Amino acid sequence: MIKSKDIKKNLTGYAFIMPQVILFLIFMVYPIIEGIRLSLYKINYKTETFVGLKNYRDLFNDPVFVKSTLNTIIFVVFIVGLTVAFGLFVASAVFDKDARYVSFIRGSYYIPVMVSMVVMSMVWNFLLNPANGLIPYLTQQAGFSSVNFLGNKAIVKPVIIFITFAINVGQAIILYIAAMIGIPNDLFEAAEVEGVSKFHIIRKILIPLVKPTTIYITIINIIAVLKIFVVIQLLTGGGPNNASSTLMYYLYNNAFKYNRLGVASAVGVIMFAITLLLSVPQLRAMFKED
Amino acid sequence: MIKNLKKKEPIDIIANIIIVFFAILNLFPLYWLFTSSLKNSSDVLKMPPDWIPKNPTFANYIDVFKSQPALRWTFNSIFVSLAATILVIIVSSLAAYAFSKLKFKGKNVIYILFISSLMVPKEVMIVPLFRITQSLGLVNTLSGMIWPNVATAFGVFMLKGFFDNIPDSLREAAIIDGANELQVFYKIMMPIVKPGVGALFILNFVQVWNDYLWQLVVGIDKDVKTLMVGISTLMQDLNPNFAYKMAGATVAAIPMLVIFIFFQRYFTRGISIGGVKE
Repeated sequence: MIKSKDIKKNLTGYAFIMPQVILFLIFMVYPIIEGIRLSLYKINYKTETFVGLKNYRDLFNDPVFVKSTLNTIIFVVFIVGLTVAFGLFVASAVFDKDARYVSFIRGSYYIPVMVSMVVMSMVWNFLLNPANGLIPYLTQQAGFSSVNFLGNKAIVKPVIIFITFAINVGQAIILYIAAMIGIPNDLFEAAEVEGVSKFHIIRKILIPLVKPTTIYITIINIIAVLKIFVVIQLLTGGGPNNASSTLMYYLYNNAFKYNRLGVASAVGVIMFAITLLLSVPQLRAMFKED
Repeated sequence: MIKNLKKKEPIDIIANIIIVFFAILNLFPLYWLFTSSLKNSSDVLKMPPDWIPKNPTFANYIDVFKSQPALRWTFNSIFVSLAATILVIIVSSLAAYAFSKLKFKGKNVIYILFISSLMVPKEVMIVPLFRITQSLGLVNTLSGMIWPNVATAFGVFMLKGFFDNIPDSLREAAIIDGANELQVFYKIMMPIVKPGVGALFILNFVQVWNDYLWQLVVGIDKDVKTLMVGISTLMQDLNPNFAYKMAGATVAAIPMLVIFIFFQRYFTRGISIGGVKE
């Protein structure tokens, strides 16, 4: 009797999670396992030949892959750093103001996020276009020699960093403002009574208390920048001379342009390992909560 | 709010002036996008530029809808985002309820597996994902863009938090009254977690709407492209008119802008749920 009741309990639970589990197995677990397998094969349309770790060795001997990896690291470090710093700066200056003002600031920085990377990349492409863009025109008017923002090896990376940061920083601002508004008032009041300056309050109370948010923003942004693709495709096409190529762009080209599926899978496996590793701190924080 | 901090320090005022300045600067590209889309093909390239269009025209918009299946793309995007989101809500609320309120063998292990996948973007597995989508016959279909997005565990994680806040006694009382598990879930629990479902709806809709790379590889024919992918092809279009490209980009921007303006409150809440401990 007791046993059949237990079985029924188990079955009800499984029935509820079944649809999610099936989809998860087909579109998440299977692709991961299959991706690892494919990365060990040379794939030619219908034929697959086992080549061991050759795809990985080839990758590290390919200067474009090495460049794409380095570029991706540079993008991650600078974009995430800028996003966290500016997000903290804006949120801590704004969160204690009038609700309508907060909502205005939040909205203005978040609208580019909403409008999407695709649309924003198209606008920036137009703004920076060397032939008829507004920004090259303005820099020329300001007395600088004509600059090709997207075609100059030395400038293209800072340009991509700035644009990606400017489009996406709104998300960090929203998260920080929410976290700061959630801090109990009496903490500030105590500091206020003692006549501590706002700068001090920010350093001693605000920044330590929003640390979980900082960790969260850092991780989701690292992962977002790691798979950065749209800006690269629509602004530079990875150029000039692969100076702005990234891992995701390299993966896409190998998979869908050069038909090197084994190599592309190997890049995917490397990226998968990195994201898994990076998400460990966030996962640990989540389980502590439970 | 915090009245005591209203006593303004100069450094605070300077910081806020900088912030407002950058906020406006950050919106300038959108102003430029919209005004450029209203210019004719020569005015749009004129330097020094017209900061305000002199002879505003909607000709570029008519062009976009005439020469491109832009309406079809818009429909595709709405359909894909809506269908994926509704499916996500059904599938993940069922699972989240089970993880939160039911007892069954292996529950914790399965939940940990789900959660571990949270941060892994499906794009890194795009080759095998594309191959399985192909063998299911879903390449070049809207379904192919929908299903992989339903597999993500984010909704489970988010809604579980809402179910956790409901006292177990509510479920037990209903069961004693003779309700079965599905009735408890549907009639009692779902209405209570409505705010969570609302936030998930918006977050997921936007995420699928912007799921560019996957839609790019799955939608091959012009008619199965989504709005973002279709519009981005205008950048490579033979038509050299930048005003026409900007009109296309504006068309792609409008639906989300409208949603944001109407649902800003839900957005702020929805986005915050992932990052702020409650």
